[in-house]
Amino acid sequence: MLEAAFPVSESADLNQRLRTLEETQRATLNLLEDFDEEKAKLTRLQQATLNLLEDFDEERRNSQLIQKATVNLLEDMHEEQGKLADTQRALMNMLEDIEAERAEVGQAKSLLETVNKELEAFSYSVSHDLRAPLRAISGFVEALLEDCAPRLDAEGRRYLGLIQDNAHQMGQLIDDLLAFSRLSRQEMNETRIDMGGLARAVFDDLARLTPERQLALRVGSVPPAQGDPSLVRQVLVNLLANAIKFTKTKAQASVEFGYLPALGGGAYYVKDNGVGFDMQYVNKLFGVFQRLHAVTEFEGTGVGLALVQRIITRHRGQVWAEGAVGQGATFYFTLPKGEAG
Amino acid sequence: MNEREAEIVIVEDNPYDAELVTRVLQKHGLADKSSVFKDGVEALDFLLAPGSSADKSGRRGPKVILLDLKLPKMDGIEVLRRLKSDERTRTIPVVALTSSSEQRDIKAAYELGVNSYVTKPIEFSRVAGIVGDLVKYWLQVNQLPSG
Repeated sequence: MLEAAFPVSESADLNQRLRTLEETQRATLNLLEDFDEEKAKLTRLQQATLNLLEDFDEERRNSQLIQKATVNLLEDMHEEQGKLADTQRALMNMLEDIEAERAEVGQAKSLLETVNKELEAFSYSVSHDLRAPLRAISGFVEALLEDCAPRLDAEGRRYLGLIQDNAHQMGQLIDDLLAFSRLSRQEMNETRIDMGGLARAVFDDLARLTPERQLALRVGSVPPAQGDPSLVRQVLVNLLANAIKFTKTKAQASVEFGYLPALGGGAYYVKDNGVGFDMQYVNKLFGVFQRLHAVTEFEGTGVGLALVQRIITRHRGQVWAEGAVGQGATFYFTLPKGEAG
Repeated sequence: MNEREAEIVIVEDNPYDAELVTRVLQKHGLADKSSVFKDGVEALDFLLAPGSSADKSGRRGPKVILLDLKLPKMDGIEVLRRLKSDERTRTIPVVALTSSSEQRDIKAAYELGVNSYVTKPIEFSRVAGIVGDLVKYWLQVNQLPSG
């Protein structure tokens, strides 16, 4: 159609132009194709960018969360820090209190040491000074009895005897009190003690003092104890001497030393069949200078059981008694268990 | 009595104790062989004085010193220390005869070399017995170095 409308030269030119056009068209198509491709690429890129942005958004959210968490953490930390400061302050106060307490304890300790020293000086002085006048009383009464007895009547001599007895009694009281105060101060050396053997030895010594009486000690199965041997010996001396003393009115004295594992975690006991005592007065038994019998009936100063209690208490043990009038008495005591070896 | 001849030296500040002990010695016929000093300074003056046992002039010293521990001026422990640290009196037997049975006194006395430690009981009849036994032992039974 185009050939018919234009002359040949023109037609060649036209062809040329047509080809060029075609080429241009093709190129354009190519370009368009390329463009399409570019567009696809661009779209992909866009998608990727969008994806990236989305990812970035998530990251941002995450980051925000982290930031918030951090802020919370910081807040918490602040709170913790406050608490820590409180704790620190409380601790400081406690330390101050402890320091104050320690100072107080220190003061109490030095006061106690002073009192102890004074007590020691006191008992030292008693030991030296209180006995001398008594010895003089006793001595001059004796001199009077020796030198002037013929000039005195029976009543006069009886009075002198009473002075003598009372001086002796007071001397005994002083000695017992001194022993009591010494025991409170004496340092303890704890070791394993064969209680059965010790009781037998003590009893034999005591029995020798009254050879006119037939005395025997029954010793049960007793475990060893842990304690200061000289102090625990004193406990047995006092308890066994009491048992011997308070059975003197019985034709057949029975004295027993035993151990009851189930009683108070394990208790030793000294049991006799002597005059016993009224349980109504059981609390008075262990007091210093407390006596349940007249001196004329049973001799003694009333310090013996106080000493027993003092020694047992110093050993972290307990002592108690059971009895009935005319039916004997039993004294129980606990001591730390003897260590093996 | 000539103090220089005393066989028994008694150091005792309590005049009643001194009198009663002297009375016991009298009964044993020993009163004229004893001298009483009422404090440690007096006793040391006598024992360490020139012409006493200590100067080795040949005169014999006491056979025993009965020493109370609680004394005025200088206490018995110090007297004992001086007696036992002086070579002139070191060998004279010293018996601590005292009221105290306090361990610290007994320990201190033995550490200083006391020859015996006796506690005076309160009953005087027992004191008399003890003093009688003591002087008999130290004067008649015990052997001392000669010269």
